[in-house]
Amino acid sequence: MNIFVLVLVPAAFILLVWSVLKDRDKTKKSLEVAKGMFLKIGGEIFGLLLLVALFFAVVPQGAIESLLGGANVFLSSIYGALMGTVLILPKFVAMPLAADLIAEGAHIVVAAGFITTLTMVGFVTAPVEIEHFGKKYTLVRNVLSFIFALMVALGMMLIL
Amino acid sequence: MRLKDYLKENRILAIALIIYLAVLIVDRNIFLQSLNTAWIYIEEMLQVLPPVLIFTGMLEVWIPRGTIMNTFGSKSGISGKLASFSLGTISAGPIYAGFPVTQTLLRKGASVANMTVLLSTWAVAKIPILLVEIQFLGVSFALARWSLTIPAILAIGYLTGKIVDREEIISEIGEIEEIVQKMLDRLPGHNCGACGYENCKECAEGIAEGEAEPDVCKPGGREVEREIKKLMEEQKTNIKS
Repeated sequence: MNIFVLVLVPAAFILLVWSVLKDRDKTKKSLEVAKGMFLKIGGEIFGLLLLVALFFAVVPQGAIESLLGGANVFLSSIYGALMGTVLILPKFVAMPLAADLIAEGAHIVVAAGFITTLTMVGFVTAPVEIEHFGKKYTLVRNVLSFIFALMVALGMMLIL
Repeated sequence: MRLKDYLKENRILAIALIIYLAVLIVDRNIFLQSLNTAWIYIEEMLQVLPPVLIFTGMLEVWIPRGTIMNTFGSKSGISGKLASFSLGTISAGPIYAGFPVTQTLLRKGASVANMTVLLSTWAVAKIPILLVEIQFLGVSFALARWSLTIPAILAIGYLTGKIVDREEIISEIGEIEEIVQKMLDRLPGHNCGACGYENCKECAEGIAEGEAEPDVCKPGGREVEREIKKLMEEQKTNIKS
């Protein structure tokens, strides 16, 4: 459990107590809003997480490393960014993976592109994003994020 | 029966459950291994989502539209960008945890550009990520990536705001919101409470949801009743077409 969750949960609790003391009806309404959102988003997310987990169980160990650690920096960068787009990974899985990639000889651009697209571009979360913001917004934001993620990755090559 | 309805509405979950069932029959090892990995993700989701959604619910009932417009609206300028970035950077959890909060802010008057900055920061530039990134990839890697990512986030926000219109999103995500706003515009706005609701906004929501009759507003009288009935007719034809 990370420290931000340790802060987040008590903070939500304190806010809830404050709200109850101030206005019970409003608090009830806010909890109904929260519950509605949880039911709406929870099921979809739960399903997505199950599918991604299955993907990792089926794909052989080391397949990702061998694909991203190739000698052709350009190709591996594209692979890295695409893979980051499709997958969702918790940061404490993604960061060590990126570190392993660099240690095994993958280019820094590949690792940076992988991390940036992984977190910012969401192919898997797109259905949930569409539900919240509509198709057009989801498409525009993800395409722009993908392009800029590649630019960030290339920029890293110039800086480092 | 209710479970069936829930699965119908959450197709992805239904598909996932069916595939898991198939995997269980075909290969028990892969099933268990997947379940193990899935649990890591689900644990994170269960830790982060409930508190974040409680915050969102509070935001919905306690923070007035005007405050959100001033802080995150299209006229909020640089301070709006800064506010969006700050909120995103102290957040926790994957990008999907940010969707409900961001949507609530957007409905209450935040600009598309600022909300895109919030979402992107939430995804890629939050402090928990920085800490783990430094730990595994080193300070210089993290600093270089962040110093490039922050301008990129601002650019993505700016461009998305230019391409996608706020009204477009609002009307695509919820018919009801738009109609509530239109009804609210036609109600007298005294917040007198004669209809039984606390204020005109709740009254408009009540009418839109079919909970109250179109003639519920006493001060509005015949005039308002007619306007609201007209709106409801328009709404019906819109849904059909």
